[in-house]
Amino acid sequence: MPTVTTDPIVLSTLLAELAQRQLPCGGWAALASSSQPAIEPTCYSALVLGSAPVGDIERAQDFLLRTQNPNGSWPVFPGDDQEGGWVTSLAIMSLDDLVTAIPARLKGLHWLMNCVGREGNWFWKWKFRTADRHVRFDPSKYGWPWFPETISWVVPTAFSILALNQLPCSCGGLEKVPFRVERGVEMLLDRACPDGGWNAGNGVVYGTALAPHPDDTAIALLALTDRGQHPIVQNGVQYLERLAPALTAPWSLSWAILALAAHRQPIARLRSSLVALPDLVSIEDTSTLALVCLALDHRRALSAFGVAP
Amino acid sequence: MSFTRRDFLIGSAALAAGTTVTAPFLLPSYHSDQRPKRSRVAILHAQQYSQQLDQILTAGLRLFPIDVRGKTVLLKPNLVDYIPGNAINTHPLLVLAAAESFRRLGAKSVLVAEGPGHQRDTQLLLSQSGYERVLREEKIRFVDLNRDQLIRTPLRASYTGMKDLWLPRTVLEADFLVSMPKIKTHHWSGVTLSMKNMFGVVPGARYGWPKNILHWKGIQESILDLCATVPAHFVIADGIVAMEGNGPLNGTPRRFGKIVLADDPVAADTTCVRLMGLNPGRLVHVREGAKFIGNTAASLIDQIGESVVVPDAPFQVVPEFHNLL
Repeated sequence: MPTVTTDPIVLSTLLAELAQRQLPCGGWAALASSSQPAIEPTCYSALVLGSAPVGDIERAQDFLLRTQNPNGSWPVFPGDDQEGGWVTSLAIMSLDDLVTAIPARLKGLHWLMNCVGREGNWFWKWKFRTADRHVRFDPSKYGWPWFPETISWVVPTAFSILALNQLPCSCGGLEKVPFRVERGVEMLLDRACPDGGWNAGNGVVYGTALAPHPDDTAIALLALTDRGQHPIVQNGVQYLERLAPALTAPWSLSWAILALAAHRQPIARLRSSLVALPDLVSIEDTSTLALVCLALDHRRALSAFGVAP
Repeated sequence: MSFTRRDFLIGSAALAAGTTVTAPFLLPSYHSDQRPKRSRVAILHAQQYSQQLDQILTAGLRLFPIDVRGKTVLLKPNLVDYIPGNAINTHPLLVLAAAESFRRLGAKSVLVAEGPGHQRDTQLLLSQSGYERVLREEKIRFVDLNRDQLIRTPLRASYTGMKDLWLPRTVLEADFLVSMPKIKTHHWSGVTLSMKNMFGVVPGARYGWPKNILHWKGIQESILDLCATVPAHFVIADGIVAMEGNGPLNGTPRRFGKIVLADDPVAADTTCVRLMGLNPGRLVHVREGAKFIGNTAASLIDQIGESVVVPDAPFQVVPEFHNLL
């Protein structure tokens, strides 16, 4: 077997592997060894295959439309409880180029608008301000939880901002989208780590600054692409620039490439590092495999996330 | 914003939580009494992480009448996040030693499985924490429980009020589940040992990173529901270097020189807490677990290996848990 080293050859190999992993139902499982379709890997795969000449994007989109919950949200996987969760924002973005999916996306967007981190409720704001102050954050700045009935976290908030920024039309009932997006942006800025970047949620717990995570930071930075001049955003970009060259984990490195590209930072060497990682085609985690493909086709990926560098 | 009766009830409970995490009496809410008649705990001495750990561990395991021949053994370490210099995770050399020991005892297969609670990039965490190299070199399979196939599983206790959880197939199908905690203090639950370690089987893809729903349903209550539903058959607790203070991530490493083995997680945690110089009777999940999961009474625990010696200086805990001292 010849060694594959160039981006296009690696990309086509990975795309073929991704297409091969598509299940008969049209979705993808989280792990290569699993047959249980799940929404997150299906969304990343659908974003990748949107314009690729492999795989069956129509079956993937049909799978997503079939699995939407009656309340407009998406479950984590078919058969899950129907209250919905954080993957709703990913599903909305994955159906962006499908005109017939506009009603489904609007239902999803309405669900997102009604989904609020618990600190968005006045009672919990009061509690976090008075009785529970070990986690340092401003509860008036709220975003989205992983699942209803819990507090806001960085990743679901960032994905929700990206989805809401892709409104298909100025439709009734969505007038408050700019308000929610702004609260979400404020929440991300409020919960950054003191030394730059983002952890899963808050930046300080029990008086100790938390260390940032590269993937959480990158996803937050994607949602904050239009706030590039903000010092907290610049700190996050600088953290990612420092860290990314040493990353050998394809998930984090891929997110870093996308975020740095969105913030107009050079990524050529990082792409080379990504392509040089061993056994990319054998990655067990299908979301990671799809994300590597997105990073190697970053312009189209950023467009799919509604981000213009 | 609306304020509902439900908000009020939940809010009242949450407001009380700060002062009651270590004090309250929970209403018994278990479905069956799973306690063994007697439990066995062994305290082993190990001064450092080395390639000789497997000899210590194999000798320790032979003190127990366990039979893993032909069984699938799942090692569940505590792998949460990585901060250089912090003793957060169960050390990979101890996990390797456990794998070698169980293979030596005739296990059909040994795998390592975990669903990290904070870090979504499991591969990055495996790499940073030293697991990746050890697992690769020794050909030990790793399963990311955050993304494993899920099965809806009825809970066998209902302290949280939840009826079921989606749990990983790999965990449910394992013949012999070994909880391998790091001995640490914890700023929300007092300590994190073999019982709290079971939070790692709850899949992040379904419940988020961290598994925030468990916090809102009550950490102590969630520990009890999980341990009733997914009982660990054995415990190997890593106390060679432990953590005190602001755990589970940012506490201070403490050289402790101990490995605790047990065939009962409640007995294991009781012993660990005593070794830490803390009072196990004031930990809700340990006290409540003694009613239906395992044993805490000294008369029901066969203590082998080293005896329990209370340290001159107990493990430091955050102020909310000073009542454990």
